[in-house]
Amino acid sequence: MLKTLLDAFALISTWEVIIAMFAASVYGLVIGSLPGLSATMATALLVPVTFYLSPIAAIATIVAASSMAIFSGDIPGALLRIPGTPASAAYADEAYAMTRKGQAELALGAGVWFSAVGGIAGVLSLMILAPPLAEIALSFSTYEYFWLALLGLMCATLVARSSPVKAIAGMFLGLLVSCVGIENPGGVPRFTFGITDLFGGIEPIPALVGVFAVAQVMRAMLTPEPPPLPRRKFGSIMAGQWKLTKMYHWQMTRGNIVGIIIGVLPGAGADMAAWVSYAMSKRFSKEPEKFGTGHVEGLVEAGASNNASIASGWVPSLLFGIPGDTIAAIAIGVLYMKGLNPGPTLFTEKASSMYAIYLMFIIANIMMIPLGIAMIRVAAYILLAPRSTVMPIIMLCCAVGSFAIGNNMFGVVTVAAFGVIGYVMEANGYPVAAMVLGIVMGTMVEQAFVTSLIKSDGSILPFFERPVAAILAAMAIGALLWPVMVWVWRKVKQPQTAAAASR
Amino acid sequence: MRLPDSVTGSFLVVLGAAAAYGGWILPPVPGQPVGPNVFPLVIGTGLALCGLAIVFGIGHSFEEEEELIPLEDGQAAAPPPQGKLYGLRALLPPALLLFYVAAADRLGFIITAAIMVYITSTALGAKWKLALPLAALSPFAIHLIFGKLLRVPLPAGLLPTPW
Repeated sequence: MLKTLLDAFALISTWEVIIAMFAASVYGLVIGSLPGLSATMATALLVPVTFYLSPIAAIATIVAASSMAIFSGDIPGALLRIPGTPASAAYADEAYAMTRKGQAELALGAGVWFSAVGGIAGVLSLMILAPPLAEIALSFSTYEYFWLALLGLMCATLVARSSPVKAIAGMFLGLLVSCVGIENPGGVPRFTFGITDLFGGIEPIPALVGVFAVAQVMRAMLTPEPPPLPRRKFGSIMAGQWKLTKMYHWQMTRGNIVGIIIGVLPGAGADMAAWVSYAMSKRFSKEPEKFGTGHVEGLVEAGASNNASIASGWVPSLLFGIPGDTIAAIAIGVLYMKGLNPGPTLFTEKASSMYAIYLMFIIANIMMIPLGIAMIRVAAYILLAPRSTVMPIIMLCCAVGSFAIGNNMFGVVTVAAFGVIGYVMEANGYPVAAMVLGIVMGTMVEQAFVTSLIKSDGSILPFFERPVAAILAAMAIGALLWPVMVWVWRKVKQPQTAAAASR
Repeated sequence: MRLPDSVTGSFLVVLGAAAAYGGWILPPVPGQPVGPNVFPLVIGTGLALCGLAIVFGIGHSFEEEEELIPLEDGQAAAPPPQGKLYGLRALLPPALLLFYVAAADRLGFIITAAIMVYITSTALGAKWKLALPLAALSPFAIHLIFGKLLRVPLPAGLLPTPW
């Protein structure tokens, strides 16, 4: 234990890791603070760079950039009422109301402080949850993996703030994308239409870059430019945060726990955590009437929640290869590339790398406090950069980055195609996150499904015979039927209320 | 580019049916009941069923209309010009990426990238005073990071970089 910890320290105390982490932090803070550029996009654009780094440095950049970007999305939310990342959207109104009351320092300080606390709580959950779960996961057979993957996919459709049917359709689309290529049980070219470039399948990373970055540039083409930020002088940013921590320690803990749970659920990420925690805070508050008028309580809880979900999203990713959110989906791609294939054995065979990941998360969250304060002070200058200078550079990074993944032009074509797909899906209410999950998990779902079917000789019964498999199956089917039940319940309730009204 | 649900749903039905059929005609693995054909068959069927459900408006009641945050103090932004062709502007980024694929090998990275940056920047409302220097400088910066530091083999084309 102590030796692995020391090994982990040795792994991360190289110049490469330190510089990579620092650079990625600054990058994450800048991208997160620019409205329209999300944390997921920041991570996706980082992937081509990670190709050229050592495994630990590669993961360090992702850890640092994603944590920082989630916090720094609060900055334009508080100052402009435009959330920098979707994860800050839940409380951008509240934070802006505080700024108008002259409490911008308090709102932003709460953003930094409770983000850092939430992030560390998330790491603790990763450290505590992962080893025992790995123990259980070692005894899993393909049946359990199949149901687990299905449960993950269903969760993603449940939490989407859209029609569940459209979410499931999005998921199927993603799975269909993963069918392309010759990496299937029969080893035959499938859906390749004779195009050699498609034989290797569609790479998840260019698809993700397309869906999150190119689609965003496409949307920017049609939306008006956000207003510039008014210059202002900030007082002390951390003043009063300790008082808030003592006053709202229960809200903070609740936010952390909710964030951790939502992070662990596949497909649900920081934005969902923030929405749920903000709503919970309002529901259980002693003074709910103050919400919306610039009250810090909801900010504390939601800020603690969205950063907690970032670290805990790595739990299912590291254990099963099932991404906890879209950022983790990208991280999984990097893990595979770097030979750290997700799975329960990762914790026994590469224990020092796991400890290194924990340590990097903790360091990133501690670094967030000074860097975050500095970022708040210079935010006014960074937000001066007009969209017409940022977006073209994003475009260049998309083109070069997707080329760099395989040193072939087909990656660029993939990015362009998925940009269009992502844009059209988003515009029509099909959740993109569900498709992304399908693309990332497709091969795994198919392998588990087909291997199970071969083992059972085509029979369905063995899928339910092992106890853990049966429980997971019940949960997955329950998740599938949940929207139906809600719909039926609404139908039953509607005539009753109508009848009551007419009486 | 908001399409009616009946259009997107029908498209999914066709796509699902095509995927299921494509899976169906794949050769099976000899001596095994399940092969590469099963998964596309299941997915295609599922996709087609979802498409049908969407056509018939099932699940529509769950959808939340996206709220646009209104601007404060009545400083409403000028409504964007709504022409028929205005919506097509969104296709500019993917079109430029395809242009990059087609032209980068011949023109070289620097020239192609400069054209891309200039067009994107102008389309987003930049004046030439801003777009021109940006187009002249940013390709070199990107080339320095990716080509020099990360050693991505970017095409040299007509205008090789000094390093």
